[in-house]
Amino acid sequence: MTNTVAESVSEGTGQALVLRTAAGSRRRRYLAVGLGWLAFLALWWALSAVLGSEARLPSPPRVYREIVTILQGDFWTQFWASIIRVIAGFAAAVLIGTPLGFVMGRSKYWGNFLQAPVVVAGSIPGLTYAVMAFVVFGISFWGPVLAVGLIAMPYVAINVAEGVRGVDRGLIDMSTAYGRNQSQVFRHVVVPSVLPFVFAGVRLSFSLAWKVGTLTEVFGSSKGIGFQIRRNYQLFNMPAVIAWVLLFIVFMLLLERLVLVRIERRLFSWRQWERDQ
Amino acid sequence: MTAAPISLGGPAPRQGRLHQVLTSPQGAQVTAIFVFVALWQLVTLVAPRVPGPVDVTQFLYTEITGGSHGGIVTGQFFEHFAITLQRFSLGLLIGFTAGLLVGVVIGLSGLARALLNDTVLVLLTMPAFVWAFLTTMWFGISWRAPVLTVAFTAFPFVAINVAQGARAITPELKNMSTAFEVGRTKRFRHLIVPAITGYIFAGLRFAIIVGWNGILLSEWFSGQAGVGFRTRYWFDANRYRGFVGWVIVFIVFIVVLDRLVLNRLQARAFRWRDPLQGEIDLSHQEQAGA
Repeated sequence: MTNTVAESVSEGTGQALVLRTAAGSRRRRYLAVGLGWLAFLALWWALSAVLGSEARLPSPPRVYREIVTILQGDFWTQFWASIIRVIAGFAAAVLIGTPLGFVMGRSKYWGNFLQAPVVVAGSIPGLTYAVMAFVVFGISFWGPVLAVGLIAMPYVAINVAEGVRGVDRGLIDMSTAYGRNQSQVFRHVVVPSVLPFVFAGVRLSFSLAWKVGTLTEVFGSSKGIGFQIRRNYQLFNMPAVIAWVLLFIVFMLLLERLVLVRIERRLFSWRQWERDQ
Repeated sequence: MTAAPISLGGPAPRQGRLHQVLTSPQGAQVTAIFVFVALWQLVTLVAPRVPGPVDVTQFLYTEITGGSHGGIVTGQFFEHFAITLQRFSLGLLIGFTAGLLVGVVIGLSGLARALLNDTVLVLLTMPAFVWAFLTTMWFGISWRAPVLTVAFTAFPFVAINVAQGARAITPELKNMSTAFEVGRTKRFRHLIVPAITGYIFAGLRFAIIVGWNGILLSEWFSGQAGVGFRTRYWFDANRYRGFVGWVIVFIVFIVVLDRLVLNRLQARAFRWRDPLQGEIDLSHQEQAGA
């Protein structure tokens, strides 16, 4: 609603008024976002007061104290354990998914052959991968790596196949006509056009893979965020469960916003001129 | 089978047909299934603890027909499946309705978006097993925990998608319908509903996939019945053929639901938009669904 008003005003009146309106609406939006968070906290607090018991829904200050304790304690050890596994899992997914995607994109037969298995692998519930990883590796570093790799691989493969199918044939023909050899074409034409699709696969599966990674830690790990959530669940320590979950969520959102968006911009920067035109 | 046609200069018509059948999309898919089963069998030969295809098929037959697994344990396929389906549908209904309402409100009003968007994002980031834990701590071991786990995991996916659809309605159309004094119900029926149908379907499909994962987790951790509970039952009993059998059941269920039912529904809902689109969607889905 506010957008519509701002737009119709901007078409009719002078620059100064437009800027003022824009600044005003931005301020109003920040205010509303802040209000949204306040409302969220107020609702939480009210609910915890009504439910009364700490074991059901601890109040925001109680959880805050727990968060401070965790941050002063072993927060980084636990997070680092999870991060390393997730990164290793994604590395495995890219290493296996990229060649698979290449084959799928290049050959019609293999595209048809692999389509169904890859699609099915992509819609298998995370529980399956988590338990499977636990059965194969027991309590180990490699369980979450395997689970993350399995869950992310189909996304990478499907996106790379899409990318390979979309590589500009004309560009390849031209490069060949001008005497570039196979490896040069591969390095300077195929790789730059497929790389963003590898990344798109990682980005699409990012939050799903993290969730499955933590789930695997619930089953078979002695470290990591998932393990901490499970330990506190078994101790019936509700404030600690919520504190760890909130830290996980904040961490995920930050990672997505700050790191992934930045890498994305970098990878796609060579296409900037396309967007400008 | 791939070597023959290349080496022969002029393949006989019958070989040519065989080659054609094998390399057709359907042929490739059928080959993929056979290769998968063969690989599975091979793994069983190398690692005897892994239950093979025959073992698992036998187990599923006993489980579905209600025969005896040895001792007093009998097959209880339909009991557990029915319970899970009931909880799943109820949870989905709650999550979907809430998501639809919140999504439309977020999409149509800037104020609501500013107020609620971050909350929905936080819910979106929440892993399903956390909901399974929380609802168990709240309600103990009861039917409420799985139902609410489904509702909580499905809700943000529906809300986000519907909000996107509602935002995508062009202001021109909105202004025009105001200018021509189109009534509220008419506007809802002819402007808002067609614009967000696709997004509702997208949201519903996400909701079904994540909700299914949610209910399995919830029943696994704190069920007394249901698909997730039964899967865990066999896992805990160290009877891996039971475990694998049930895993296959819940994977087949979600794949069939997603590929065959929802894809087809989606194609049907969009037949007004582009008659060809529906055809393409259907053939594509048949390709992927086999």
